[in-house]
Amino acid sequence: MKLLTRTSRSYLLISVVVFIISGLIFFRLLHDIFEKQIDRTLLEEKLLIEQTINDSDSVPDFGSVFGHMIDITILNTPHKKNEYIRDSLMYDRDLGSFASFRHLFVENTSFDRKGYTINIYKPLRESEKLIAEIVIAVALVFIFLLFLLVWVNYFIARRVWIPFYRTINNLAHYEINQDKPLTLTRSDIHEFNLLNQALEKMSKKIRQDYLNLKEFNENASHELLTPIAIIKSKLELLIQREDLDEKQLQLISAVFDATTRISKLNQGLLLISKIENNQFYQTEEINLAQILDKTLEHFEEMILHRGIVVTKNYTFFSSVNMNRTLAEILVTNLISNAIRHNITSGRIELELFSDSFSVSNTGLPLKTDPANLFERFKKSENNPDSVGLGLSIVQKITILYHMRITYTYLDGLHTLKISF
Amino acid sequence: MKILLIEDEKELAGSITEYLQKENYLCEAVLNYDDAIEKINLYQYDCIIVDITLPDGSGLDVIRALKHLKSETGIIIISARNSLDDKVAGLEIGADDYLTKPFHLPELNARVKSIIRRRSFAGTNEIIFNDIRILPEQMEVTVNGHSLVLTKKEYDLLIFFISNKDRVLTKEAIAEHLWGDEMDMADSFDFIYTHIKNLRKKIMEKDGEDYIRTIYGMGYKFSSSAN
Repeated sequence: MKLLTRTSRSYLLISVVVFIISGLIFFRLLHDIFEKQIDRTLLEEKLLIEQTINDSDSVPDFGSVFGHMIDITILNTPHKKNEYIRDSLMYDRDLGSFASFRHLFVENTSFDRKGYTINIYKPLRESEKLIAEIVIAVALVFIFLLFLLVWVNYFIARRVWIPFYRTINNLAHYEINQDKPLTLTRSDIHEFNLLNQALEKMSKKIRQDYLNLKEFNENASHELLTPIAIIKSKLELLIQREDLDEKQLQLISAVFDATTRISKLNQGLLLISKIENNQFYQTEEINLAQILDKTLEHFEEMILHRGIVVTKNYTFFSSVNMNRTLAEILVTNLISNAIRHNITSGRIELELFSDSFSVSNTGLPLKTDPANLFERFKKSENNPDSVGLGLSIVQKITILYHMRITYTYLDGLHTLKISF
Repeated sequence: MKILLIEDEKELAGSITEYLQKENYLCEAVLNYDDAIEKINLYQYDCIIVDITLPDGSGLDVIRALKHLKSETGIIIISARNSLDDKVAGLEIGADDYLTKPFHLPELNARVKSIIRRRSFAGTNEIIFNDIRILPEQMEVTVNGHSLVLTKKEYDLLIFFISNKDRVLTKEAIAEHLWGDEMDMADSFDFIYTHIKNLRKKIMEKDGEDYIRTIYGMGYKFSSSAN
């Protein structure tokens, strides 16, 4: 949920609750005021009637005086005093339906020892109508105010949070390997400036660490080249000696194998740092179909040897703008990967579309998490001789050209798809 | 045959010189740019092996100087920098070949031989090893006068073997020669075995001698002597 939606929604919800509660209280108060007013009128009328009963024996028609129903009964015997006011529902002849009335009832004895009862019914129609009108008017004002406040709040919040969203957007688009440090635009809000400063400081530190690491990686790989070359050349001279026995050859062979692995590892790391440093900057339009075919030809023997059947499905002979060497490395690594992790008499399927190409191969399910597939030195157990940099290099190349690489496994078929 | 090696790494220069001297080449090594320029101005070489990064200059400038002298010398660049730019630049200004460090000594040897062969004006540049005769331009091989039909890989393998005759060739060196260094696969060694088996069979079918020896755990050796 967006921050703005969240605050607006909470604001609206709380306002509505407050409105309902205060509305009920308001209604109650209003009702009480009106009731008191009516009761006072009723009591005044009662006093007047009682006065009239006490002063004279005749009972005038008060109904026509006060304009509402008054029922007076004079009894011959004295009556105990009793008085109450309550709401009652009665048939209203004028309306032709039942309506609310305020009902005053009095039983008492007059000065001349005669009992009397008075019933005064005052219709509540008018006051109810008035209450309803007041409530509606107040509600309308309140709803108008509510929407105005929510809208103003939303509007202000939206303006206030602009620098925040700009910062988030900048962060999302920032890549640590781009050539300049993260710079965020200043805003006139102090807190956002603090946030930006903290982020800039942090990213500067991360970037510096990243550059140091990259430089170390590059230097280390580069400086290792010469010693490795020397070891290899000395070993090659050593094995030319005629007086070596089997045991010695075995030892040398082991050293040789290890050196070869170091060398391959080093070459892989060097290649990665070269890709990261964008040393393959020259690009041209690359015909992928051509490179795929050339690479297949290169691996022909291996494919035949393992009884792998290759099917090609080039629906579109797309060309991609990239460095030729990297394009070749990309395709070679993908295809050699598909051969290496294949099963005997398996399949390799190559597909080429206008916006992607994919290499699929039959093979045992991955034992490791596919998410780690592109990490350095993640290698399968059945290929201990592999250095484990192939797919990592593939990933570096795809990152360089903003391509997307996805891995899927379906029905025993591993697919690596590159979309550009 | 005179070869000049320009390589600032003393130990590596030593290895290369030692390996090439066994081929009966006269191999001189210099460690820097100035000495290299001095040498090429004084002497004629059949082949020059030059490292691009020298402490006091660029190997590319040595090549330019050679071209300025109108030298016909064959030039092989050896460089730690596997960058395409260097390769293109080097080949453009007149180098014949380019090899990335670390390389196998037999590979360098084969490249040197190939260049010297191509540059020899002795009329014929055929390769002869006992009863085997190869015409590289036509890619023709005969054994005892019988024509031998070889696949591209078998042919490459045979040339590589003969270029490095009497030398132990490791499986890695052979694999890299045949498939390039991107072949990061242990099973490429199976193919070497298959190719060698086929090559051996084809030569022996034409009554040729079996020159290929297996060196235990190490690789192979192409040799006419019994050991």
